[in-house]
Amino acid sequence: MTEDHDRAEDGGSGDSYDGARNRPPRSDGGTAEEPAAGGSRADGGTTSASGTVAERLPGAPLEEARDALADTDRRLLDAVVYGLYAVAMLFFAFPVLWIVSASVRPQGELLTFPFRFIPQEVSLTAYQRVFREGMVTWLFNSTVITLVGVGSIIAVSVPAAYAFSRFRFRGRRQLLGLVLLFQMISSIIIIVPLYSVMTTLGLIETRVGLILLYVGIQTPFSIWLLKGYFDTIPEELDYAARIDGCNRLQTLRHVLLRPIAPGIAVVAIFNTVFLWSEFVLAYTVLGSERSLYTISIGVYEFQSQFGNDWRAIAAASVVGMLPLVTVFIALQRYFVKGLIKGSLKGE
Amino acid sequence: MATAGEDDSVESGIGRVTDLVGRLIDNPLPWLLPTLAALAVFQLYPLVEAVRLSLTNEVLTATGTEFVGLENYVDLFTSTGFWQMVSVTAVFAVSSIALHTLFGLILALAIDYGVRRGLRGHLTTRVSVLLAWIVPGVIIGLIWKVMLVESQLGAVNYLLGTVSIGPVPFRSDPTLALVSTIIAGTWRGTAFAMIMIYGGLQRIPQRLYEAARIDGAGRWARFRHVTLPQLKPVLFVTIVLVTIYALNTFDLIFALTNGGPGQATEVFALFMYRKAFTDYALGEGAAVAVVLLGINLLLTVVYLYAFDIGAEI
Repeated sequence: MTEDHDRAEDGGSGDSYDGARNRPPRSDGGTAEEPAAGGSRADGGTTSASGTVAERLPGAPLEEARDALADTDRRLLDAVVYGLYAVAMLFFAFPVLWIVSASVRPQGELLTFPFRFIPQEVSLTAYQRVFREGMVTWLFNSTVITLVGVGSIIAVSVPAAYAFSRFRFRGRRQLLGLVLLFQMISSIIIIVPLYSVMTTLGLIETRVGLILLYVGIQTPFSIWLLKGYFDTIPEELDYAARIDGCNRLQTLRHVLLRPIAPGIAVVAIFNTVFLWSEFVLAYTVLGSERSLYTISIGVYEFQSQFGNDWRAIAAASVVGMLPLVTVFIALQRYFVKGLIKGSLKGE
Repeated sequence: MATAGEDDSVESGIGRVTDLVGRLIDNPLPWLLPTLAALAVFQLYPLVEAVRLSLTNEVLTATGTEFVGLENYVDLFTSTGFWQMVSVTAVFAVSSIALHTLFGLILALAIDYGVRRGLRGHLTTRVSVLLAWIVPGVIIGLIWKVMLVESQLGAVNYLLGTVSIGPVPFRSDPTLALVSTIIAGTWRGTAFAMIMIYGGLQRIPQRLYEAARIDGAGRWARFRHVTLPQLKPVLFVTIVLVTIYALNTFDLIFALTNGGPGQATEVFALFMYRKAFTDYALGEGAAVAVVLLGINLLLTVVYLYAFDIGAEI
């Protein structure tokens, strides 16, 4: 919205008032050429400096006047934006913080009056209950399924993305279109036939079945994203490797893998979030086999069993989101970069 | 002598294998085989199976199914429950599209402005918004369930209580229940729209703003005549993707209200789930799935048309 020299003059300090004060040529331009504009200003900030006419850029008095006016405008906008930040932080972070606060209260403090945000004393009994009900098993299952699943998705989609980027074969366009179609169609649609499909394949109520299903569901997105990365690498690099005696597999391993590593990282992050959070496919495939429950299923079943123990539900929610939140905060910058890059390819 | 000969044959053996591998991997098929197998088994086959099921009267608890033609579809389109669900889904989807896109746009502009001006807090804001997005859907449903409980331990009712409003029955009143699911959905979904639009803002050439400034355009004029037209393609793609996302929402509502009270928050996916797994009517559930598939395909075509994907392939 604003031009580059704003940033330079403000020195990134974030203090726009100082920035405005240190701009004598401009404010002077405002008062000299357009006295009405300068005089009518309520705050004296921009009219305080005067007499540095020599520094003024010749031939741009009107623009300077506008800029001077814009200073007030800008400070007003800064205030509005700060207000927006506060509202957004409150709306988006408060529920998470509140659930944490609710989970560490001793029994009964949830109902005391007046209600406090920071609990008077901390008690971990809610967590004890959640762990007694099998939280360790759910965490273990989710970890195994997520790690093996994400690894498999990468192992399947990297070669496919390579093939779509580097080979020219008949039916390539059609096949790529089909992959995109599968990416766009929601996986929720297959839950009805899923039970019979997985039973026929002998994969019902198994972790392997669920992992294979995730590979089928998540490769289209991963292939599209990785193909984008492969396409940015000039094919001359491949040719050079071929001349040096590398076959295609060696080329991929020794030459191409390094430049597409950021793409693989994005695919890994996205799929980790998806696999860890996924509920309905896992719920259908794993069925009533308690020992295989993932975190989403476990937390859901837990709350339908102990519907009124809000402290325990809060505790279960905290444990369920903690691993992802930790990873996310650690990789936040990477994550946003990948999101922006990946955003134009669906999801 | 003998050993040298053996070495030769071993070497040529290895050479032949390498040649074979080399020739094999010069063909795209081995590279694509795992993907093709996974897609055929876990995407294509279930979809075909859904279409087949939708033409039968299969019930989860009984054996012996018959081909019934389009009967399931006729039943579906003539039932009031289906149209009730369609209107709930429409309200949910339209509100989601409006709120996600509007909040996403405002936040993207505010963060972009903050980054350029060096304002403090833009990073924390971005992290807070994204945080909501990575929380698992079921847990989002539970977080809002706890937030909206109808006593003072529900934070929202407690805060409303301090200004003597309420307690508001957020989950037991049909209209408010739908509003609650929309709020929870917006809490999660705004991040996606924000990131899409933020990415779009970064791609607007700065010289356009400089040219507009030289022409004397003020802040609002620059937004109206430079930012908005430049963002149009991104906004369109965002709206299509948010639509697809909203129409297929399941886990969040499943955990928050489970479609209730009554059918008040029963969207497409929950309706389908109830038919198939609560009423055990697999045939009918599959018919709902096929209708949802049709809608997904339609939106995909719109998306592809907007994105001009032909050029990319």
